[in-house]
This record gives sequence, structure tokens and C-alpha cells, in this order.
Amino acid sequence: MITFTFEGLPLEVQPGISIAAALITHGERITRLTRFNSNPRGLFCGIGACFDCLIEVDGQPNQRSCITTVKEGMVVKVQRGS
Amino acid sequence: MEVRYQVIVLGGGPAGLNAAKYAANSGCEVGLIDAGTRLGGQYWRHTGHEEFDQTVHHNFDQGSLLMDAVLANPRITIHSDTTIWSVSIINDEIVLRTKDGAFITQRLIIATGAYDRTLPFPGWDIPGVMTPGAAQSLLKGQGVLAGKRVVVAGTGPFLLPVASGLSNHGASLVGLLEASGKYSWAKNSLELLRNPAKAVEGLGYLLELRRGKVALRFRQAVVAAHAGADGTLESVTIANIDSAWQIRSTYKLSCDVVAVGWGFTADTAIASSLGLTLEVDEEGAVTVVVDDDQCATQSNSATQIYAAGELTGIGGSDLALVEGAIAGLAVADSTSDLKALKKRRNKLQRFAKALTKVYPVLPGWKSWLSEETTICRCEEISYSDIDAAKEEFDAHDARSIKLLTRCGMGLCQGRICGRAIADLMNSTPQERINATTRPILSPITLGEVAQEGLL
Amino acid sequence: MSQSPDAIVIGAGIIGATTALSLTNAGLKVLVLDRGSIASGTTSAGEGNILVSDKEPGAELDLALRSRDAWFELSDDIGGGFELEAKGGVVVAANNSSGLQHLTAKQRSAGIDARDITSAELWDLEPHLSRDITIGAYYPQDAQCQPMLATARILQAVKKRGGEIITGAEVQEILSKRGVVSSVVTSKGSFSSPVVINAAGTWAGSIARLAGSDLPIAPRRGFILVSVPTTHKIFHKVYSADYVANVASGDADLQSSAVVEGTQSGTILIGASRERVGFKEGIDYSVVRILARQAIALFPFLAEVQLMRVYRGFRPYAPDHLPVIGQDPMIKGLWHNAGHEGAGIGLAPASAQLLSDSILERKSFMNSAPFAPSRFLSVSGL
Repeated sequence: MITFTFEGLPLEVQPGISIAAALITHGERITRLTRFNSNPRGLFCGIGACFDCLIEVDGQPNQRSCITTVKEGMVVKVQRGS
Repeated sequence: MEVRYQVIVLGGGPAGLNAAKYAANSGCEVGLIDAGTRLGGQYWRHTGHEEFDQTVHHNFDQGSLLMDAVLANPRITIHSDTTIWSVSIINDEIVLRTKDGAFITQRLIIATGAYDRTLPFPGWDIPGVMTPGAAQSLLKGQGVLAGKRVVVAGTGPFLLPVASGLSNHGASLVGLLEASGKYSWAKNSLELLRNPAKAVEGLGYLLELRRGKVALRFRQAVVAAHAGADGTLESVTIANIDSAWQIRSTYKLSCDVVAVGWGFTADTAIASSLGLTLEVDEEGAVTVVVDDDQCATQSNSATQIYAAGELTGIGGSDLALVEGAIAGLAVADSTSDLKALKKRRNKLQRFAKALTKVYPVLPGWKSWLSEETTICRCEEISYSDIDAAKEEFDAHDARSIKLLTRCGMGLCQGRICGRAIADLMNSTPQERINATTRPILSPITLGEVAQEGLL
Repeated sequence: MSQSPDAIVIGAGIIGATTALSLTNAGLKVLVLDRGSIASGTTSAGEGNILVSDKEPGAELDLALRSRDAWFELSDDIGGGFELEAKGGVVVAANNSSGLQHLTAKQRSAGIDARDITSAELWDLEPHLSRDITIGAYYPQDAQCQPMLATARILQAVKKRGGEIITGAEVQEILSKRGVVSSVVTSKGSFSSPVVINAAGTWAGSIARLAGSDLPIAPRRGFILVSVPTTHKIFHKVYSADYVANVASGDADLQSSAVVEGTQSGTILIGASRERVGFKEGIDYSVVRILARQAIALFPFLAEVQLMRVYRGFRPYAPDHLPVIGQDPMIKGLWHNAGHEGAGIGLAPASAQLLSDSILERKSFMNSAPFAPSRFLSVSGL
């Protein structure tokens, strides 16, 4: 098992899992708030085509959580705006 | 970094794997480029844990054997986790750029597959609403259930394996909705009857679902999704629709996931960048035109570009495998007799065509939209924004709407909303072809673009 | 009205639209024709630049100065709605060899508010600018708009005030009787008028030839890079001092210099390249690389920003890099308003005003002689 943080909270997951999948197993489905209306968004296409599941990873925004694998110690946050 | 191969195959799904295998076995040095971490594409998406993978696939052995064969083949070099951000033909060579450099060849096979076709409807942007492909990729690729109370809806045979997979792995499947009518199979039965294996496969899923007490309901569709207090999916409105997909009556159902899909769309952007001849089918789908050997049409005579799989027309994995085989043999100038392969391909193509008649997407979906419905998810453009642009500016074509409202100008560059907008604006075939052009195939940092040695 | 308008404008881009508005406001019934949809040519590939900073003193700068103010008047007239903003431009250089201070002095004497600024002031205006950039000039008059919205709103005003727009109308013939223009034949019908205005931009040469005349307007290809939406870190139009030289140069090879700015939607636009390669299809990625490099040299943070899309346009230019505004030397009643190269958006309202004044024989704000189509007569051998 490996650990990463989501919004400051530590989460334990199987290695090799995507961020989106990891969050879903912990009941978290909102990866970002849109930039104009702050609407919640999450995984939609699941294969990296829709760019809706964007999340902030280690300070970098616009990471597609469905195709980004969780790494030990990753700091993941809900992306707010752009 | 520049890497040259005699043949490059783009895409590690059924078509690409078979293309690589047949080309390599015919003597070619092949580079297989795949954006995914593991081979298999969407169809054979897997976790790498054999036991689990067997439980989520209809026939994983077939995929497993093929992937192992490709992995073991000394003439095939696999480049996983590799995304092409642009392509060009320079000095009679095909250049495929990555963030680390470029792959170069004179013989290319494009087998990049498809993604779920989506239609906007009220609330489709609420977290918890996803495509069937998303639910599948979570299950098959991650071993994760998308949710506990799931509705699977839309149209097409793909809904069945998605539903049965979810149901078999512990989700409560509270709705399985098919927009087409119960008897549309009967109207198109001739071609379908010629393919008994497919019928058996379909029946197999239905039986599995029956065991889980899930009833497939026809002429029903999810026409709205609703969020709970936390902003995520809480319930959906399901409609009984008529044969023109107009809403007759509705009822509500609580659920935490709805997987809605309407068939598939192939991404033809690479084909467009390479100048391949494209055409549009009766469903408005843009496809790559290929000849009997899966060879595409383009003006550079020193290069050969093939297309196999969903790119030449949505047809499922068996067809993709055959097209891949033909392309692999053709690119190698193989002297093998392709007759049997081509016969099987043509038969599967006829089946695929017949299937689209059973599962058409009818324009009645537009009647489900409300003014607030988001049409362009990336830029948060609503149906009323589009209506306003049409009214105020007399804009009647998709391109003008795009330029006036920013629809399709966001991060997904029209992958998700593009086809729906083309349908809403009644785009002509040429307009649809023009709209799939995307010179930057995938986002790449300016720093990576600025690197030395970029062709 | 349609069959015999007071004036026909060929081209529904920014030049055609502003020309139509100018004539409509003067009381004429104007018909605008375009073979495509509105702004389907170079206008929709523009950044929306309204600049006084990038021109040396001369006729074009005079036109630009008037036009900049005319944009704000136009916005008031039609009720805005196209993101017009007096953003201000910052021109930068890494060292003194660009002669920037020399240029600003000349520009000031021509009436431009061109301010030499210190490095400290420069980095104050643009905190994310590379610290290698130490020389700058600030042009508060430089402005910006959204060209597609501008064209659409201007044409809406034209319609509301009695004009008509027909899209999808390909001009097939322009007929004259005894040297006087009489009608335009299109795929959607024939229309007669004593005033026909060629505002077809990069295709103005073809239109002129349909009338039996000629105009030496050729395409100069440009690419624009668009980043993913990001937090606002660039506050003005920022470009390097060699931009001015590039604009005025006629070299066939690639000319490129950095132009970087943010947009209201959060994307960052990066230009500018100029190549004479005809109407070449496709994207030249080596040019994209150069533009990326030049932008990063100005704003190092851009190295981590993702490129989302690239688009291409063909600027219409005349051999002397001045627009063509005036009556055709051979055919009475045929007027040209084209060839604005990369300054079409900026120069549009003043060009329209200049042309309308000529058509209506009114005194104008400047002499239109430097832009006269007749200046090509000796060149083309007509």
C-alpha cells in the first residue's frame, strides 16, 4: 500500500492505481471546480479524452486524474479555476 | 531523440497489436507506440492481475495471448506511456513528435481506436455522470467499481458488457436502459443472423444480467441528472421515449452513478494532420478512407499510411483484429493470401453496418435539452449561449458558433462537444471533416516544444 | 432592397463590416456579401490587436492613431460587446541595439503617447517578465478586442440600421458598363449598384481580377499559439522591439518576433510569425518552436505552461506594406479597402471612414493618397 494526500488528508491505496480511481474508492468524486462558475466536476470519460477530471498534483494544475498514477507522497488538491 | 523504425504502429489495442504482430512476423522491424501504461487499448484494458482480469473480460485469453505474443516478439519494440503531440511529413518521412523527441518512419499504421460518443443532457456535467467506457476502465483497468447504485443507459451493444461487469462485481444495477425499440433487431435481422457468434455473445450478457435480476428496458433514456447537496449525482430522470425519441413520460430514480453512452467516435485528428482522405458516414461520423489493403489515401508517394480498427468505421474488436492483420501484412508487402482475412473483414463490416441501423442515434435527443444544459463542458457554454449566438448574430454553422461562443475551444478541443455541436448545427460533411483538425494533438508544455532538435 | 442596394461590400470580415457600418450610418442601404460565413477569412485568425506602438511615423501610423480612437467611438455607437479594452502595450528589448528609444522619440513627435520606462517600471508593469529584459517602452494607447465578436456585432448593427448580409454568396463576376461598375453576379443571385467595394482581404486580388482590374495583394502566413487557460500573469500586450522591423520587412524567409498577451478567458496568445509561402496548407512546427522559444525568453514561466492549440491565418499584404484604400484607377465605382496585413483589426474603423469619405466626397481626417490603388499602376504595367 502507498500513501498520498488529498486536500491535506492522507489516503492509503494500492500501488498502480490512478488518482481518480483512488479518490473514488475513498468516496471522493469532485476533482475540480470550474473556472467561470465554480461548478464541481470529476471523472467523465475515464480515458484521458475529456479533460474534465483535472486535478492539482504537487502544485501542477491540469493533471488528468484518470490517467495519472498515484505515487508515494503525492500532494493532490481539488483544482480551483485554472 | 530521434528513433526510426521500418514500420510504426500507433495504438496498442486489438487493431494495433495484430498489425504489429503480423508486420513483425512478415519480417518488419516494428515500433509500437501506445499512450497507455499497459497494452490492450480500451477493449483489453486490464490491471495486470491475471485472476481479476479474467473476471472482467468476456474472453481475456484471446487478448492475453496476443499481448504476450507482441511483448515477446523480438522485432517489436514497445513504447508505452508515449503520447504523440503532433505529426508532419518532412522530406518524405513521417515524423511523430513526443515530448522527448520524435519517431520517424515511412510506413505507418494508425490504430488509435475510439472513445465513447456523448450527447449533452441536463445535468450531464455532475460528478457521477460518466460514459460506459469510464465505468469499464475503472473496473477493468483499476479494479474499482464506479459506484454502488448504477444506471447504465444510452444505446448500443456496449451497454451490456458494461452493465454485466458492474453487476457481477457487486454494483446494484438499478437501471439498464436502451433507447432503441425492442424489435429493431428483427427489422435488421438478416445481417445479424449471418453472425451467430455475435448473437450468442449478446445473449450471454443478457442471461448474466437476468441472473442478477436486471431487466433491460427498451425505449427508455436518462434525460436529466440531479445533484445532491454535495454537488455530486443523487438521482436521474428517466423518460419513456417514443420512436422519435420524444419524451412521453418520466420517472425519477436515485443512483450514484449513471453511465451513458451512444456508441463510439474515432479520433481522426492524426489522420487529418497527415492529409489523409476522410469521409463522413450516414451517422455523421468522420472516418479514414482506406482501400482493400487498409491503405489510406494521401499525396506523398514515398510514404505508406494504413488505418485499422475504429478509425475506418466503428465495428468492434473482432473487426479491429482483422483490419490490423490485413494492414500488418500489407505494410510488409507480404505475399500471404489475404483473401480469407478480407472475406472475414467484409463480413464483420456488414455486421457493424447493420448494427448501426439497430442502434441509431436519433435527433430527438435535442428535445431533452434545457436552456441551462451545458453543451461545451470545458468552457461552460450552455444551450442558451448557443441559441443567443444563433439569434443575435445569425450564425448558422458550427464554426461560427465556435468562434462566437468559445464552444470547442477548451482543453478537450472539441473531442466531447464537437460531434454534438455538429449535430445541433446540422453541419455538412465537409464542415465535420474540417472540425476534426487539431494541429496540437495533445497538450504539451511550451518548454518541451521549444527544445533543441525538434523536427 | 437587395437587388439594387446603394453600395455592395464584398467581404464580411472586419474591413467589410466596418465599411458597411460607416456607409450605413451615412444613410446608405448597404449589401454585404461573403462566400463563406462572417469573418471566415483572416479576421477570425487575428488576435484583435489595435496598436499604435508598432508603426514608424508615416501615413499608416496616422491611420492607426485615428483608428484607435475610432474603435472606442464605434463601441459606444453599437453598444460594445466585443471585449474592447485599452490594455496598453509594452515593447521590450534585451539591450539598446534595437534602437527602441530612437523609435519612441520619433513616435512621440507624431502624436503617439510613447513612454520610455526604466527596468523597475517595466517589471512593475509585468512582474513575470524575464530579468534579462531591461529596456522597455509603454504605450497606454494600445488596445485589444475580440475580432469575431466585433465583426458579428458590427454586422448586427448594419442589419438593424437597414443593411443586409448574405453569406455563402460566391462572387462570380463583377460587371461594368463603359468603365463604370454596374453589378455583381454571385452564386446567390445578381445585385446591381454604382458602388462596389472590394473588402476581400487576402483574396482581394482575385476579386479585383473578376472586375477586370488587379491588385497585388499576397498572403503572408502567420501562426498563433494558444496556451491552456491559466492564472493571469501577463497584463498587457508585450512584444519585442524587433516586431516593428518584421512588420515592415519584405523578406520571403521567416520573420518572427515575440508577441505575448493574455485574454479574458485565461488563455495566453503567442505570435508572431510572417512567411511568404503562398496559401500553404498545414502547420510548420519549426515555426511553432521558434515562437515558443521567443515567448519563453520574455516570460520564463511559460516553459511550464501547456500549449493547447495552434491556428493559422494569411495576412493580406501589398508590396509596400501599406493598405489599399480608394477607388480603382480603371473602373469607376469600384473601390478597394484591403491589404491591411497584420493590422486589419486595428486599422478597420479609420480605413472605413477614409473610404466612406472618399465615396461620399466628404472632407476626411487625412489625405488618402498614400493608400491609393493607383500607386501600383506603374508596378503592374497596367
